[in-house]
Amino acid sequence: MKIDKTKLSRRDFFKAGTIIVGGIAVSSTFIPFDGLLFAIERPKGKGKWYGIGIDINKCIGCGKCAKACKIENNVLDEPFYFRSWVEQYTIKMDGSILVESPNGGIDGFKQSVPDEEIFKSFFVPKMCNHCAKSPCVQVCPVGATFETPEGIVLVDETYCIGCRYCVQACPYGCRYIDPGKGTVDKCTLCIHRLDKGMQPACFEICPTEARIFGDLNDPKSKVNEFLKNHTCMVIKPHLNTDSKLFYNALSSEVR
Amino acid sequence: MEQHIQNLYEVLSQVEGFVYPNEIELNWSILIVLYPFITGLVAGAFILASLERIFKVRILKPTYGIALLTALSFMLVATMPLISHLGKPFRAYEIMITPHLSSAMAIFGFVYLWYLMVVLLLEIWFDYRRDMILWANESKGVKRFLYRALSLWTTDISPKAIALDNKIGYIVTVIGVPSAFLLHGYVGFIFGSIKANPWWSTVLMPIIFLFSAIVSGIALVMLIYIIVSKVRKVKLNMACLDMIAMYLFYILLIDFVLEGLDQIHRIYEAEESFEVLHKLVFGKLFFTLFIMQGLLGTIVPLITLGIFQFYKPKENIRKVIYLIVPVLILIGVFFMRWNVVIGGQLFSKSFYGYTSFKIGLIGPEGYLMAAFWLIVPLLILAFLLWLLPPWKKKDEQSEIQSA
Amino acid sequence: MPQQIKRLIVAFAFFILLFLVLRQVLKPSSFGDLGHYRADAIQENIDSELHYAGIDNCSKCHEDIHMDKAIGFHANLNCEVCHGPGMKHVLYAGNFTDRQLPDSLLLYKPVGRSDCAVCHQVNAARIKILFDTIDNSMIRQIDAMTHNPVNKRTNEKLNCIDCHNPHQP
Repeated sequence: MKIDKTKLSRRDFFKAGTIIVGGIAVSSTFIPFDGLLFAIERPKGKGKWYGIGIDINKCIGCGKCAKACKIENNVLDEPFYFRSWVEQYTIKMDGSILVESPNGGIDGFKQSVPDEEIFKSFFVPKMCNHCAKSPCVQVCPVGATFETPEGIVLVDETYCIGCRYCVQACPYGCRYIDPGKGTVDKCTLCIHRLDKGMQPACFEICPTEARIFGDLNDPKSKVNEFLKNHTCMVIKPHLNTDSKLFYNALSSEVR
Repeated sequence: MEQHIQNLYEVLSQVEGFVYPNEIELNWSILIVLYPFITGLVAGAFILASLERIFKVRILKPTYGIALLTALSFMLVATMPLISHLGKPFRAYEIMITPHLSSAMAIFGFVYLWYLMVVLLLEIWFDYRRDMILWANESKGVKRFLYRALSLWTTDISPKAIALDNKIGYIVTVIGVPSAFLLHGYVGFIFGSIKANPWWSTVLMPIIFLFSAIVSGIALVMLIYIIVSKVRKVKLNMACLDMIAMYLFYILLIDFVLEGLDQIHRIYEAEESFEVLHKLVFGKLFFTLFIMQGLLGTIVPLITLGIFQFYKPKENIRKVIYLIVPVLILIGVFFMRWNVVIGGQLFSKSFYGYTSFKIGLIGPEGYLMAAFWLIVPLLILAFLLWLLPPWKKKDEQSEIQSA
Repeated sequence: MPQQIKRLIVAFAFFILLFLVLRQVLKPSSFGDLGHYRADAIQENIDSELHYAGIDNCSKCHEDIHMDKAIGFHANLNCEVCHGPGMKHVLYAGNFTDRQLPDSLLLYKPVGRSDCAVCHQVNAARIKILFDTIDNSMIRQIDAMTHNPVNKRTNEKLNCIDCHNPHQP
């Protein structure tokens, strides 16, 4: 539609004005409902879109990843703060399940159950799942935690108010409050290393190459190869967080 | 921080089974128990006031003003426990500046402001405007200035203006009822929408929060009415108290049924998390859930008030019981919040174990801080009752005509 | 318009305006550029300090050990798995001769039994398929307490590295 400026009467002006202002007013009442739609659609980055693969069969529970993570990211030493840790699952013959993670596995593991009582046992390295529909990002009231265009969930520690809502929302226990800073802290997938073309510290240090990461949008990437050649599963799939941390040989006991 | 770490080592030694290493610390403590408790009192007190105004339960008139002022004084501090528990309290303004629309907590900021500014303050303002102008003329000095400022220096008290006040006040109350529901339903939603936590994640959570809120608010106003009457040395209006007790009984019954339904649903579905919750309820939560919330806070008041619906003992006995029952209900609702907030964090999201809860007397998250935020609204209420005494309002007839 | 409504509208307009102004003033500069967050926060996260240098940096100076290691079972191991983070060492060790190297730039030398036991202590959870070939199919496991604790002839306590070359075990 072409508007003839010379003929624009006052009435038309008000009419157009009312429509525009009214339209904005009406549409703005719908904006809050945008918030409802957070976990409905599966977002996917256009460029790089990082995913992680962990092969439980290869993990020997040395805990080097947990230690490297603490050192690389200056995480507090106390055994209550982990961006990355390892759990040892032992399923006994009687069906009971024993899970241990002393100091996140940093000091190594001991098998406390005698061999003849063990049905099976394995290690599960844990870290942030960098979910595409992160419950933690969804609940952050101020936008201090977010997904980068590459799909990494980061924290803006200069903006975090320390309300701890995200800690409650994370189903995987991957967040903690740094008592010194008063803000939340979590795995950054070592974005400072990725930026320099290096691997994240826990990947770099893994002696058995049990950890793999790569671009999910690139069909030839290591992570896509891993997904193709293994039967992979995420933890707590029923929560539909669209986790991007895929485990090979994940047992149903793992939560 | 040293003390904090030391506490955590102590908790670490009390961990049962397996919890994720980051879960040893219990993140939401007593202040977050207080936050829904106080917000609930606001919503409940307001509902009681609106019973009189909208639903024209005239017999509740003596509590109308007290209920409104109670709602306001608790509303003013409702966010304080939340803000004082923040890791960075001085960044709290960010919730208003850049609210993240998908976050229940961010929207709460606006729901809160709406309720405080548009509902509570407006209703009280229209209700008291004429009296404030009249009182200003009678007072001197600071008090006179205060009344003048609070009435925004208006002077018009012609019958036409008063009629308008009453009309708008009525409309505001009508808007206020769904707003009160929204306010407290939203607090429930903050917990109910956390899908990672099976103890919280239930559709009924907002409704349960709402009904327990109404129960607690009514109980509080009942208590305050009795105390204020004692202090003023005036006779208690027993008909009014009986009526409040009746409402209290029915709403408590609904609340009880809803919470029962929630648990029955949980037991019948017996999802993955059932075992860990079952042990939680009969272990670490047994005392607070079954004794404090269930028996003391729900069953005893229900039976007492239930009997009153059929048989009314002598006035003196009723007076004592009307003093005890609201206290029990308030304790029960407080522990209901406790069981939700603390209970929801005692078990691991791996469902393999439990952490434990340790709280100190002092410190930013201690008992004293919590007590402080419970006492402040009472002080505010005392001030408001002194400044705007509902019993000194003149010519109540004109108000009744309006609606 | 009635007086009280006028006053109220003025009061509300004042607060809403104040809020809008504050919002403009307080909103951080890069907020909303990429999404509902401060876009600058990505760069701030990237600016963190590095601690682990990666195997390529080690092999630049320690070519000999790198070659040794390349033919053994530990071929795929990053040096820093056993020796700890080496970024500082990589950045500054070049300024010193071997003798002068200050302690702060020295890396950890794992010599004790417990160092090897971290990976090789027998544990039912640890029997893992590592490579395709049958020979190397499992990580070698021993009980560090009982596996040749002493030299049988001299009765001296033995460390793992007395018999095994860690770079070529």
